[in-house]
Amino acid sequence: MTDRKLSAFVDALVAGRRPGSFKAEPADAEVVRTAIALRAARPGDAIPDEAFVSDLHQKLADQASSPVAPNVRPLKVRRARAALVGIAASVALVGGTVVATDSFNHAAVTTAVAVPRGPVIRTASFETASGSVLGQIVVYGGHPSWVYMNVGVPESSGAIKCKLQLNTGSVVAAGTIELHRGTGEMTKTIGVDISRLRGAQLFNSSGAVVGSATFA
Amino acid sequence: MSPALRSCPTNVSPRSAPGDTDIAYLRVVDTDGYTDWESVYRDNIDRLYRLMYARVGNRPDAEDLTSEVFRTALGPLQLTASKGEVRSYLLVTAQTVLASHWRRTLGLAITSIDPESDFNALVEPSGLKDPTDAPQRAAKILDALPDRYRRILELRFLEACTIKEAAHEMEVSVSNAKVLQHRALRMAAKVGSEFGQ
Repeated sequence: MTDRKLSAFVDALVAGRRPGSFKAEPADAEVVRTAIALRAARPGDAIPDEAFVSDLHQKLADQASSPVAPNVRPLKVRRARAALVGIAASVALVGGTVVATDSFNHAAVTTAVAVPRGPVIRTASFETASGSVLGQIVVYGGHPSWVYMNVGVPESSGAIKCKLQLNTGSVVAAGTIELHRGTGEMTKTIGVDISRLRGAQLFNSSGAVVGSATFA
Repeated sequence: MSPALRSCPTNVSPRSAPGDTDIAYLRVVDTDGYTDWESVYRDNIDRLYRLMYARVGNRPDAEDLTSEVFRTALGPLQLTASKGEVRSYLLVTAQTVLASHWRRTLGLAITSIDPESDFNALVEPSGLKDPTDAPQRAAKILDALPDRYRRILELRFLEACTIKEAAHEMEVSVSNAKVLQHRALRMAAKVGSEFGQ
């Protein structure tokens, strides 16, 4: 079954179409990676289409003229992906003001967080022992420092516990992510020098490790 | 636009080990900035698209992901930041957008963007240098394959042949061509893995 979907994925790549989604096995990853590398070597599509460039320019112009206050970008917490992107992007820029959402064990509450000059951000992916990606984690060093993470564990429900670890191996912060339909997210302020963080681990309700992330 | 060496606290490496706090990690950045979001867009759209295309291998996804990067990044953009800082910011955004894309579509991190090592992809003059080493890497992989495996992949990926055309060219049936392609890709993946692609 996977081979058929993998073949369909490759056929789409070769034809220049958008490939479909499927649950890839770790052994498929290298094949997909190789197919992308081979396809990217073909000249042509690597250059952006003029119509795409002008259309996107127009959309961004519309976005820029919207009444949203400059340099303030509310995050849509209903979509974990957008939230992660917004947070990661916002804190990566010096001297701005972002709006972050504190959803740690609460309903979403929007609060303004002033981002000082010179923030540091670190990101990593939660992966299972077999290499499947479960989610992302972003830590930000500032005033305050905070951690944001989202996870997707389709076969799980209830709560996932997360522990942040120092380079020494000691646990410095922990929180619980309530899963809804297998996905969840949390944001929490942390009082730790983020350069000393090694990574994070996720545990299910029985205490078993379901995934871990290591900061590069 | 001559780059200058300067201390950039934003770019202090997150790989710092305990005790390294006195070490300043420096990066060459442009000291000049952008005047408006349109100049950010015009200066980076081409190279960011090329980088994204090299990571996903198809135009529709590359366009969507590039759009997402700009839509996300331009909102909180601070034009007082230098060009180097803006490009770092775009790359961090692109890194997250791409990771989310793979998580959503295949559930595995197939390719990634590293804001550190991919920084030059947004600095090289557009059109003068491919932001990726895709052609060289492809050639290296193909050269390591047996003739028939190499040929089926060349026909399909580099010469844009349909499976029927590739089968005709190689004088095999369509089903044989499919099997050949499948085996060739598996072997190419193994070769690529050994090369550390």
